[in-house]
Amino acid sequence: MLQRRTPIFALLLLLAPVFPTLAAKGEQDPIVVNDPQYGEVLFYFYQEDYFPAIVRLLSAKQQVLLTDHIEQADLLLGGMFLSYGHHLEAAGIFERLLADNTDPEIRDRTWFFLAKIWKQRGYLDKAEAALAQMGDELPDNMMREARMLQAQILIDTGRYGEAVAKLASWRGRTEWSGYAKFNLGVALVRNGDVETASGILDELGSMNPYNEETAALRDKANLALGYSLLQDGRPGAAKEPLQRVRLEGPFSNKALLGVGWADAELNNYERALVPWMELQGRDLLDPAVQEAMLAIPYGLSELESISQAADHYLNAVEAFYEETNRIDRTIEFVESGDMFAKYLVESPSDSSGWYWQIADLPEGPETRYLYHLLATHAFQEGLKNYRDLTYLHDNLTNWQQSINVYTAMLETRLEAYEDQVPRVENTLGRTNIDDLIERKLEYDALITNIERSNDWLALATEEEFELWGEITSLEISPAASANIPEAAEVREKISLLKGVLQWQLEREFGSRLWEIRRNLRDTGELLVETQRARRQIDETMRTEPLKFADFSDRVYGLGPRIDTMQVRLDETMADQREYLQSIAVNELQAQKRRLDTYTLQARFALAAIYDQASAEAESLQEAETLQ
Amino acid sequence: MTRRMIISWGLALMLIFGVTTAQEESESSPDKFRVLDEDVQDLKKEVLDLNRDLFLLEEELLFPANSQVAFFVSLDVGEYFELDSVNLKIDGKEVANYLYTEREVGALARGGVHRVHMANLKTGDHELIAVFTGKGPSTRAYRRAATMTFGKGIGAKYLELEITDRVKKQQPEFVIKEWE
Repeated sequence: MLQRRTPIFALLLLLAPVFPTLAAKGEQDPIVVNDPQYGEVLFYFYQEDYFPAIVRLLSAKQQVLLTDHIEQADLLLGGMFLSYGHHLEAAGIFERLLADNTDPEIRDRTWFFLAKIWKQRGYLDKAEAALAQMGDELPDNMMREARMLQAQILIDTGRYGEAVAKLASWRGRTEWSGYAKFNLGVALVRNGDVETASGILDELGSMNPYNEETAALRDKANLALGYSLLQDGRPGAAKEPLQRVRLEGPFSNKALLGVGWADAELNNYERALVPWMELQGRDLLDPAVQEAMLAIPYGLSELESISQAADHYLNAVEAFYEETNRIDRTIEFVESGDMFAKYLVESPSDSSGWYWQIADLPEGPETRYLYHLLATHAFQEGLKNYRDLTYLHDNLTNWQQSINVYTAMLETRLEAYEDQVPRVENTLGRTNIDDLIERKLEYDALITNIERSNDWLALATEEEFELWGEITSLEISPAASANIPEAAEVREKISLLKGVLQWQLEREFGSRLWEIRRNLRDTGELLVETQRARRQIDETMRTEPLKFADFSDRVYGLGPRIDTMQVRLDETMADQREYLQSIAVNELQAQKRRLDTYTLQARFALAAIYDQASAEAESLQEAETLQ
Repeated sequence: MTRRMIISWGLALMLIFGVTTAQEESESSPDKFRVLDEDVQDLKKEVLDLNRDLFLLEEELLFPANSQVAFFVSLDVGEYFELDSVNLKIDGKEVANYLYTEREVGALARGGVHRVHMANLKTGDHELIAVFTGKGPSTRAYRRAATMTFGKGIGAKYLELEITDRVKKQQPEFVIKEWE
């Protein structure tokens, strides 16, 4: 039994890998691991090997082996279900346990954690319900995060007015206030109140960032504000926030494009060309760069550089064509299914479940097209599910092999048993234990009589008994009875011999009696043991066929269960694969459609330029003819 | 001008709403995701239950309760000993030689208990010798043995091979005892 520094407050440090938010409240109380099976579960749990840990815990519960850890085991099971991405089952356990939990902070933390997971998985209704269960016992920073989560759910479900009301009352100067402002701006824009949103986004876009996260938020706010103003027909005002976006960063391309459009709106095409030209050298995958490839010739044509404009349009058409071909190849790759093998190659036997994600995206032409997609929750969560299904499939394949071995093992054992039974029965038939017991009891009675009658001669050895017989026969022989001095001397010697022998037998009587009694006692014990063994054999012969029947039922029943489950796994994996492929292909086709639109626009523009050039040439020719 | 606005309109929207048009499309099937996710959840539950049944069958078939003896390794504190491996001999015969990974040692240190070996033994007395190898104080190579004679009766028996710290001597201690 172990005195450990593992926490007893099971919701807390015990679940620290699962419940980082709960761990903060944990006390370092020692725990006593009383059931080795529970310790074994912890051994796998602490290695984040959740699947074997859950299986062991379920098995120990089934066998009623966790007598000292029942409550902790339930809680641990809930935590491990969550870790393994089995969130609906986990929620069931927590809902049951939390109903009895008197600590409101623990309850609030758990609901909060569940809400986060459900939001991530797209279960917005459940996430909202979980948040509604919370009281006001969370620490401040967690409470802010919970409020933000609520606001995001409101925005995601189209309830912009409610989101605005929630976010407008946001107080405090924590890291969350920036996000609150941004989300408020988004909610206001979506709610149609661009004017108010502009003020809020401008404030956020003018802040001094103190880390990369706030710098990115500031860029995002400026970008959103700049484009809102552009849409609102205020290009002059749009330039300032757009120019506040950093030149290198995830939003820089879009900002450069916007700055160009703002100048173009102001009819300053020369200035507009500067950021657009900068974009031309950047990654063509970015829609902003693609759009810049059209914006440049548009600007040039506005500046009457028709020939240069035509060249740029041709370049754009060529570049879009090549890009479209690459996208087509990527679509083929995705549809072939090779994508999954490539993304799941990393530790396929690992069962870490919920926390798993692609650490490094595999290199390849398709990755650059799917990069944004891979970052989305929908794809990540879907891929996680696909990976879990692959793990389950491998797990059952291994079991299928084992079950075949067990079937053979069971058949061999049954054969050996059936072979042994007749021989055992034959041996048992030749031995009558009851007779042996009766004989032992007779001996007991005999010894008791000998003791009572002090029959020391009865315990004489064979040699002593013969000697006694010789002496007594001499004693009564005629020669010894003769009335002569020699005979008297013989009688005296016989009497002496007889006396000595009797004395010896009487002296040995006690110890001989004790030894015989001890032997009888040992015999009795052996007979009892034999009787017990016999009962055990009888019991075994009675129960063994039942055990074989039970094992047979289980072995022969589990095989088909595995097969059925494998079929269902295959079907679900196919569905999941199809789902992931469809969202990947949709993403790629959207990119392709955008390129098609741009190509079409470029071709129209080129046609217009050629028409214009042709019309000019014709009118020039007509003029020359007239002359 | 019209052309420009068509081009910019979609881009502006995607920026303000924080997601790309394509992503919106892919995110626009949460119902489909949820249906699939619920299927996966159901399957996980059923496969876990199936694994439980298979695990129990395997254990009962390979190690019947009457002859079952399980050997568990535990580590309490472990400041004076860094476990590398455990070697077990039962009645003079080597039955297990287990090398521990860093992750496993970490799990032991946090309170996990490792079932290092399972055996089927006849009723009666048996001798167990456990040899622990690792790094002792001052990270020196350390190898120590512990021995115990135990009686196997009817019913499963659990033995614990415990590694603890003897603070006074600043040395590790290796104890074998029956898990009651």
